Amino acid sequence: MGEGIAKDNMDILPSEEEQLLKNAAREFLEAEVSTALVREMELDENGYPPALWQQMADLGWLGLAIPEQYGGQGLPLTYMGLVMEELGRVLAPVPLHSTMVAALTVAESGSEEQKRDLLPAVCSGSMVMTWAVIERDPRLIPSAIVQQTQPDGEGWILNGEKMFVDNFNVARSCLVAARTAPASDDNEGISLFLIDPNGVGVSQTPLVTIAKDKQSRVSLNNVRVTSTDLVGELHNGWPIVERMLERATALLCCQMLGATRKDADMAIEYAKNRVAFGRPIAAFQSIQHMCADMILFTDGVQLLTYEALWKMDQGMPAGVEVSQAKAFANEKCEAVVRQSQVIHGGIGFMMEFDLHLWLRRVSAWTMRLGTTFDHRARIASALLDRPGKVRLGLPLPV
Amino acid sequence: MDFGYTPEQETLRREVQQFIAENVTDDVLGELETAEEGGRGVHYRELIRKVAERNWIGISWPKEYGGQGGSRIEQYIVEEEFARVGVAVGGAGSGAPAILAAGTEEQKQEFIPGMMKGDIVFALGFTEPQAGADLAGLQCRAVRDGDEYVINGQKMYTSAAHYATHIYLMARTDPDAPRHRGISIFLVPMDTPGITVRPLWTIQSDPPAPLGTTYGMARTNETFFEDVRVPASMMLGEENAGWYVGAMGLNLDRVGASRYLISVRRDEDIVNWVKENDFGGHSPADDPAVRDKLAELWTEAQVCRLMTMRSMSLVERGGNFTYEGSAEKVWAPEHGVHTTETITQILGPYATLLSNSEEAIEEGLFAHNVMGAFQSGINHGSVQVMRDQMARRGLGMPRG
Repeated sequence: MGEGIAKDNMDILPSEEEQLLKNAAREFLEAEVSTALVREMELDENGYPPALWQQMADLGWLGLAIPEQYGGQGLPLTYMGLVMEELGRVLAPVPLHSTMVAALTVAESGSEEQKRDLLPAVCSGSMVMTWAVIERDPRLIPSAIVQQTQPDGEGWILNGEKMFVDNFNVARSCLVAARTAPASDDNEGISLFLIDPNGVGVSQTPLVTIAKDKQSRVSLNNVRVTSTDLVGELHNGWPIVERMLERATALLCCQMLGATRKDADMAIEYAKNRVAFGRPIAAFQSIQHMCADMILFTDGVQLLTYEALWKMDQGMPAGVEVSQAKAFANEKCEAVVRQSQVIHGGIGFMMEFDLHLWLRRVSAWTMRLGTTFDHRARIASALLDRPGKVRLGLPLPV
Repeated sequence: MDFGYTPEQETLRREVQQFIAENVTDDVLGELETAEEGGRGVHYRELIRKVAERNWIGISWPKEYGGQGGSRIEQYIVEEEFARVGVAVGGAGSGAPAILAAGTEEQKQEFIPGMMKGDIVFALGFTEPQAGADLAGLQCRAVRDGDEYVINGQKMYTSAAHYATHIYLMARTDPDAPRHRGISIFLVPMDTPGITVRPLWTIQSDPPAPLGTTYGMARTNETFFEDVRVPASMMLGEENAGWYVGAMGLNLDRVGASRYLISVRRDEDIVNWVKENDFGGHSPADDPAVRDKLAELWTEAQVCRLMTMRSMSLVERGGNFTYEGSAEKVWAPEHGVHTTETITQILGPYATLLSNSEEAIEEGLFAHNVMGAFQSGINHGSVQVMRDQMARRGLGMPRG
């Protein structure tokens, strides 16, 4: 909905411009990202090919949603989401998700200096970024951030461990959510700092995940930060973190959607070609109905995710929509990739067959950025804990 | 992509809500609840007249037949608001889309304006005792005799037949052709000699279900045709092309608010109930298992809503469906059953209490829903048949 332009009719399918970008992304990624590359990057120390990253920067993808004055294109998050979906489809081994999550947070809440320092470098491909919130308790709530940060003259000293930090090994800047005060009536006591992953007192230990992606446990040992590293206000970082997590979750749903759709496509194709009992197994209704369910589930993820993105782009509250998308994606994407394994039979269990590349990643993504229980608890709270009647299709009572 | 409505459409929605508050009176609802004549009593007819005065019926139907030539989305908004109070307006499920798409000029002139005013109501005469999901096996015969066809046979579950003015009848016109290719559709006045309607009472009939129950109707019918003579001009579409006309008509009629609303109203009802009520101090809304389940169902219900919006968007773009209509017809009814089952386990024994019982919750709505919810996954194409269609038409999978 542009300024001064009459609003178009409701039409929840991608617009022509959106579809063009999506098609271009698919064409490029299908040419550039083979399963051989995905496998190679699982073993690679950095986990991504810098040449591909640079090509993506040259295509303008890294700056799609970054404001124009910092070298980006200033497009709605939806566009970024559509590219994410295509990256998910081919399992593109690039640190785009973590970079976007951190960069868009700086773009929204950072100081002018922080934006100038970081964002043009992100757009040009020279700055991989990431974010670190989780400590021992993996729930994404302020009370799970417990490790104390000490004031130290003009700055603060960070200590402790952060878990499940994505692409930390290659990041040049990391947003860290730290407890700077006990929670109070005014704020959650959380502050957000930018740290240098290669700085003094920072070390990381790789975690080996089923996705074989690059996750780290990050140790902070007397890491000094100053007010120039502070993003947003002191002690008032949690609302920023919440918005960061919302965007991160919506974009992860896009990746899950793309990968799941491709996984379903592969199962359907396989069923049409695999002959058993004298006919392609796609002729059996049991297989047909499994495939129909895979499409229902994947379409559901798509519809919920796109609506969440659209709401965020309209500046509307979208927390419930994001949780709906992720809770649904967690269960349904997992169901789709499992059913795809069932349709493929034993071959899907073999290392040399590519299907597990999708299975392992989609499964891992269902466990990141909020479990089904976490997200449903949020939805339930919005549904049940505020007075007033609910009506489907209208915002819940606030 | 754009998930929002225009300011004009939001205004229309508020106007319809206001109109409903003022005009859908207890008299109208009382008539609908007794439902003997499909609720088409004097107050209902007066209501429809007022709705028609506001140009809210047939909004997307062509102007030359009395419609507004407007957007399908505006029609949908009107239908959605009325469906919420249990009143059918607007034309979804009416058979009008099939007549508009396949009818002759004469047929459109004859039927569409009357359908819009509520004076012409069609019953659906497809199913037979031995032809349900396998509709192409139907036996009802239509034999040409001069300018007429003579119809003999029996139709089942002709739900509106006892108050309808016409029936949308599928009959075999060529018994020697392959099954799908020997079928035609006729638009038959119900007062034609030789038609007999007999009631079939549903499990909702005693006591009657409260208004708004999913498949709460007390009555459906079986309809017999004995030497029923219909002018050849009342054939819809070409002779022996009835299978395709019927399938297309059903597909068009599947798009609309009522289909998804019957499957999501209970989500709203149970959430609103647990927010405002408790059992002697115990509130199910505090139970973590109930909270988790309600959040899951609420999310599923959003998918029902969004699948309908997708179909609307496809229709507005020219209606290039492959599987989307069938997808809606799987997802929404199965969701309705999930919700109904969950409600029974939230309310426990209170969900057994029927409409005429002391202590019944919401006039027995949830108890009657137990008997009706699964029906929406059976009527007008079962969820299994819909999955077949998704696999074959949407995914290009072969017939077994």
